[in-house]
Parts: sequence; structure tokens; C-alpha cells
Amino acid sequence: MRPLPFPLLAEERLDNSAALVVARRPGIPLVAVRLVLSVGAALDPAGGHGTAHLTAISCRRGTRRLGGLALDRAVESLGSELGSGSDEDASFFGLSAPSEHLPRLLQLVTQVVTEPAFPAGEVERLRRRELAGLRHLLDEPGAVADRALLRTVHGDHPYGHPADGTAAHLRRLSRASVAAYHRRWYGPGVATLVVVGDVPEAATLARGRRLLSRWRSAADTPPLLTPPRRAPRRVVVVDRPDLTQTQVRIGVAALPRRTPDYFAATVANAAFGGGFTSRLVQAIRVDRGLSYGVRSRFSMSRAGGMFYVSSFTRNDAAAELLEVAFAEARRFADEGPTPEELDRARAWLAGTHPLSLETHEQVAERIADLRLYGLEVAEVTGYADRVQAVTAEDCRRVARAHFPGDDGAVVAVGPARLLQKSLARFGPVEVLSPGRAV
Amino acid sequence: MAKQPEYHLQLDGLLAETLPNGLRVRVLPERSAPTVAYYTFFQVGSRNERPGLTGISHLFEHMMFNGAAKYGPKEFDRVLESKGGHSNAYTSSDVTAYYEEFAAEALPTVIDLEADRMRSLALAPDVLEQERQVVMEERRLRTENSIFGLMEEQAESLVFQAHPYRWPIIGWMDDIARIRREDCLDWFRVHYAPGNAAVYLVGDVDGPEALAAIRAAYADIPAGPPPPPVAAGEPPQRGERRAVVQYPAQGGALLLAWRAPAATSPDAAVLDVVQAAISMGESSRLRRRLVQETEVAVSVHVSYGWRIDPGVFFAFVELSPGASPEEAEKLVLAELGRVARRGLAPEDLARAKRLLRSASLHELATHSGVAHALGQAEALLGDHRKAGSALLQYAAVTSADARRVAAEWLDPARRSAVVLDPRPARAGAAR
Repeated sequence: MRPLPFPLLAEERLDNSAALVVARRPGIPLVAVRLVLSVGAALDPAGGHGTAHLTAISCRRGTRRLGGLALDRAVESLGSELGSGSDEDASFFGLSAPSEHLPRLLQLVTQVVTEPAFPAGEVERLRRRELAGLRHLLDEPGAVADRALLRTVHGDHPYGHPADGTAAHLRRLSRASVAAYHRRWYGPGVATLVVVGDVPEAATLARGRRLLSRWRSAADTPPLLTPPRRAPRRVVVVDRPDLTQTQVRIGVAALPRRTPDYFAATVANAAFGGGFTSRLVQAIRVDRGLSYGVRSRFSMSRAGGMFYVSSFTRNDAAAELLEVAFAEARRFADEGPTPEELDRARAWLAGTHPLSLETHEQVAERIADLRLYGLEVAEVTGYADRVQAVTAEDCRRVARAHFPGDDGAVVAVGPARLLQKSLARFGPVEVLSPGRAV
Repeated sequence: MAKQPEYHLQLDGLLAETLPNGLRVRVLPERSAPTVAYYTFFQVGSRNERPGLTGISHLFEHMMFNGAAKYGPKEFDRVLESKGGHSNAYTSSDVTAYYEEFAAEALPTVIDLEADRMRSLALAPDVLEQERQVVMEERRLRTENSIFGLMEEQAESLVFQAHPYRWPIIGWMDDIARIRREDCLDWFRVHYAPGNAAVYLVGDVDGPEALAAIRAAYADIPAGPPPPPVAAGEPPQRGERRAVVQYPAQGGALLLAWRAPAATSPDAAVLDVVQAAISMGESSRLRRRLVQETEVAVSVHVSYGWRIDPGVFFAFVELSPGASPEEAEKLVLAELGRVARRGLAPEDLARAKRLLRSASLHELATHSGVAHALGQAEALLGDHRKAGSALLQYAAVTSADARRVAAEWLDPARRSAVVLDPRPARAGAAR
């Protein structure tokens, strides 16, 4: 296999601790810019779930120099759209455009992050829109299931709420909440600016330096979080009497992103529920026709993560699908992958890895992740070799430690009158209304 | 590659050939990344179906992964993944497209896999039954338990009364249950012959070698009969059409739809510009008016996909709590009416062109994107070399064009409207 053409990184850490990374990639004349702050929804105050996210989107609504509409016009007249948001670990601001606009893109994105004005009317409007948007989101059964799973697996841990918040908390937020979050957590010490594209390294670093070196802030150092812990079995049914298809999830607390088991977990998951020929897809879709889609995944964050299985089926088959998924997880943890499954999973991961690094945005996002989680570039450039080094025993060990056994959360979104009975075999069933569950 | 301010797709290295059995082959070597994208387009979709057999193109797409003479059931993806690749497919109203993305070394295997299923698909009866269940779950997922899915299905059956675009690509549930193995055998014979197909290969390959390998693998597949013509007529619409979807939901919604120009119409690129001008970006007029100023809506999405025959221009609005669909409809019609009367303001026109240029460049930034663009251009416009040409068309659009096209196609008297009537969930729900 030809080596992965990953760009060399030109890097600089400024006196105020802000980090700059430039990766020159020839080709299509676009440039991707990503400014990431390693502070996210895990730092939402108690009773203020959604604050980090509301802060990130409110930054977009105007700076000391430009109003919201002027900012929109400035960005969009360059053929770009400026996206912003938060996940549990980070807040991010990203845009891409034809390369000739790079100087202006950098100016706009740094301005938005370092000197937002948070116009009160605009913050209030966004808060109302987020609240209204949640109502529409909660009409989607899959989204309800994902959110209920997060809460059931992680409980009161800072990772136990969705980054975009909950209706009850959003109702309480205000301009003061977002200004306080920005003041307390946004600073050069947690900022990384990544630029990827057909741009000169030295000149781009110099531009980044000019824009970010004057940023002073009294931001706190984010605390280290304790990892979320595995909890005993819970079965939660979110009642949607009208659905003809039940969304199901199984989840357990699992690995953080920075772990020596990263590649073992990646290969084990690929064989179990990652690829189209994985155990789960074979057992649930191909052999039994129970679902159109089923997958498993290690979702990995800074302090910890989750291993989960996600699928959907007709209401009367939900229990059967869950039985099959648990049985396959147990079997995989006992036996590990067959030699043929192991070879296939490794080849699939190694062969398709370059496809995740084709565009400037993908590369920028990967570089930002490396910095966010303190990982080496060799994890990307040496990906194929590291995947190939994983053994069947590695997979079995990871599965025994992190796949669901007798514990684990079970979440189902569908008609409770059916599910309450059929899911009782997995444990005592708690029935929640959609509003209560998420 | 040197910086090109007016970049468009470079097709200088493209090799094109039609085999004696009618299979069209297009190979574009592009060696910046060690990957290859391999698309096979069949000129068949829901447009080629008939009532009673709706959804067969899509169900058939699933069967293409379920075994042929050389590679039996379950083998297609196993062999491909074990060589470092992955595959998928989609069915639209106009085409069924299959693709693989993989490490360059796997090319001989991919050619062998694809030629095998075009030559000798098995269509085992037990596998068909299994796949039928899978497709029913897919329909429950995307349509029956999805508000947008339910509304879109209603909208298309309002916009079209005669044309096959009036039924959903996935088909009606009863038809999915009804399709027989013999129907699938016929479908294969008529629509999957090499003369109805084209292969697009883009990526890290030696062009002439790859072309020779494809020629060798597919040459013995016999040519088939020409597919029957499509009943593509549609009577003119003489007034507004409306439907209501009652469904348990927290948020209200509105979907407006108009019949819109075919891909080959010069108006298609103009309508893309109108769509971008009114709805792409926070500063677009529809978003400002509906989401920011009046707060009638949480979101507004306008879409228009190019199709072989005249397709649909959609505006989908998710309403804020307490907002009425009538109010939202009035606001959308006012903005469209403004374009039809005055055209586009210079800054809106310029912004739309730049956003579309970025979107086109992004689409062409991957091997898969380029291969897909070649296939789309040939299927919809009749020439793969027109891939990426929309960039040039966009650049030429004027405000007067926008005015003319909006007035002609987005006439409020010829709209179709679907309103979601949110109902509380049935009794028995937990508190």
C-alpha cells in the first residue's frame, strides 16, 4: 500500500499559549480554517445545560466591530459559511472558502472567538430558536433514543447531557449565562487555530500570530474530569404510542480517546458492529431481516466514553433484536474474532482510512482532534501498521472489558404498551414520556 | 497544481470508450491520494416503474449485494472489505448507482466483483424474502415514522398526477410486499444489460491498464434489449393543490412544492442560483425573514435536484411554537414573488454565485465526488464531459434570468402545499 500523503505540520505556540498549526496541501484551491477551544458542554454549569453550545453559536451573532448581519454578509460574500458549536470536550468554529480569501477568513474567525459582543436581543432569539428546534428534534425517534441513552449511561456525570442542552435548562439561560461562560473559559490557553489548504506555511503562521498574540484573558484552567463509571442494568422505555418502529440502544461507559487500547478497540468494534459484514449486521440484518441498519461504536471523549449498539426494528421484534445483540456481544467477548474476521476488519480499516482524509476539512478536523486529545501525528501516519498489529486476543480483551454484559443501559423508543412487557426480560422497565426522557 | 481562480474539473486525462456490448467506460487517473472510486450507473430508477410495482428499482438495488455466479450470497462485501474497500449504492427517481471506494491495490478484485454481478446475478428466493423485510424497515424508518418523509411523499403525489415521479422511490408498502422474483428477473434482464450501464473510475490508477482490465472483464456480457420508453407526460397544473398530514408531533411544519425544470433546461442552473440566493447562509432573505425577523420558523430549507424530466422545487419550513403555517406560507410566497418581480439584488446574486462555486469545488474535492459527478452528468445531461460545467453556467446568470425563471416556475397559482397538523399522541402515553 502506498504511504498516506499526510501533510507536514508547521506549528507554533505563542507567548499567550495559543497554538497555531498550518498544513499545506496542494490541489483544489480551497482552504479550511478551524479554531478549536478545548472547553465544551462538560463545563456547563449545574442547571445550565446547553450553555457552552449557546455561547458558541452566540459568538456568531456579532463582535465589537461587526453586527450579526454584517458578519453573515462578510462571511457569505466570500462563498463561505461559518459554523460553530460545542460537543462535550470542545467548542469549535470552522469555515472554508476559496484560498484567495484566507486573510479575511482568519480575521473573521478570530474576531468572533476573541471579541464577541453577545447582543442581548440576538442571544435571546437564539435561545428561543434552540428551544423551538428541540421540539422538532424530539419528533425524531432516533434523536430521542440517542439523548435518552446519554442520560441513562452517564447519569449525573458532566458527559450525561446533550451538548445542545435540554428545554428545562435552556429556558433559564440568558445573555449573562453566555457572557459568563465566555469570560470564564474562552482564552488563548485552550485555543488551537488550524489552517489546511494550498497556502504558504510561514506567511500563514505569521498571520495567525498577528491575530491571536494580543489575545489576553483571565480564563480559568479547565478542571480534569473523573471518568464516567459503568452502572448496573437499567431499562428505559420512552413512550411513543404512535410509532410503528422501535428505536433501540444498548450502552455502557467505556474508553477515553487517549488510551493504549485505541487500536484494539477500533479493530474489535469493526469486526463486531462497524463494517457492513460485521457480526451484528450479519446476525440482525442479513440472517434475520430484523433491521435496515445496526451498528456499534466506541464514542471516545477526553475523560471517558461509551460503547453502544444502535438499531431499530418493527415494534414486535424489539426484544428479539436486543437478545441477539446481547448474545453476540457475549460471544465476541468469549471467543474474539475468527482469524478471517480479524483479517477482514484490519484490511477494511487500513484500506479505507485514507478516505477519511481526502478533503481539507477532514484533515483540519483530524489535526484539531490530535491536539485536543494530546495524540501523536504518528497515530494518523502509522494508522495502517497499528491496525495490522492488533491481535485476536487484543480484541477479545477489549470486548471483555468494554462490551455490555449483565450491566449496561437498554433504551427503547416506541409504544410502551408493547415494550413494557416484551423488554421486562432485560430488567425492571422505567417508562418515560418524551419530554421527561431528554 | 497551480492555483486557478476559475477552477473547473480537469478532464484532459480522461479515457472514454464504449464496449461492443454497449457498456460505457470512463477512466480518470488522479493520483493525489492512494484511493480509487468506482461507480456503476444503471439508467433505471422509480421513473421506470409502474403502479403495482413501485419500489422495485430500490428493492432490486438491495439484491445486487446478495450473490452472483462467482461470488455467492454474503460474499460481495466480505471480499471487498478484506481487500481494504467498502461499497454502497443508492436509488433515485432516475438512476441506480453502485460504488466502491478502496485502496488502489484492490482494483482487480473490484472489477471482478462488479462484472460478476452484472453478468450473473443470482436472486435467490430466500434472500429476496429477507431483503424485503429489510426494505420494509427502511420504509418505516424514512417515511412512516419520519415527519419530513410523510410530507415529502404527499408533496410529490400532489405535484405529479401522471408522471412516475408521483410515487416514492422506496415504493408503497403494499407494492414492496407484492414484488415477485420473476419481476426482479425481468428487471435485471431489461435494465441491467451493459447497454444501460456506465462505469466511472477515478483515482490512483494507470488509465490504459485500468481500461484494458475493465474491457477484459465485461466484454463477454451479452448486450440486452433496449429498455421500454418511460411514460413521462404530465398535464399542466391549473391551480393550487393542498394536502394535510395529521401526525402526533410537537412542532408544526409546511412543505411547499413546485414542478421545476429538467436538468437539460437552461433554466436549471438559474433556479440553483435563485435557491442559493434566497436560502443559503444566514444572510439569505428567507432565513432572515422567517427565522430572524419574524421568528415564524426554526429553520427553512429550499432544495431543487436536477432530474431527467421536470422535477420538484421544495421549500420546507419547521415552524416555531405558536406560529401558523398560513403565516409561513405567506412569507415564503412574498419572497419568491419579490424575485419574480424584481430579480435578485446584486449582492444577493454575487453571494449566491460564490456559495455555489464553493459547493461545487467541495463536491469535486474527492475521487468519489468526481466519479459521481461524471456519472450524474452523463445520466442527466447525456455527456460525462459536462461534469462540473454548472460552475460556468452559474457565473453567467443575471438578475433578469432569475426574475424570468422565478416568474415562470414558482408561480403561486401552481404551488402544491402540504401542512403538518400536529396531533397529541394517542391516549395511553405515559405522563
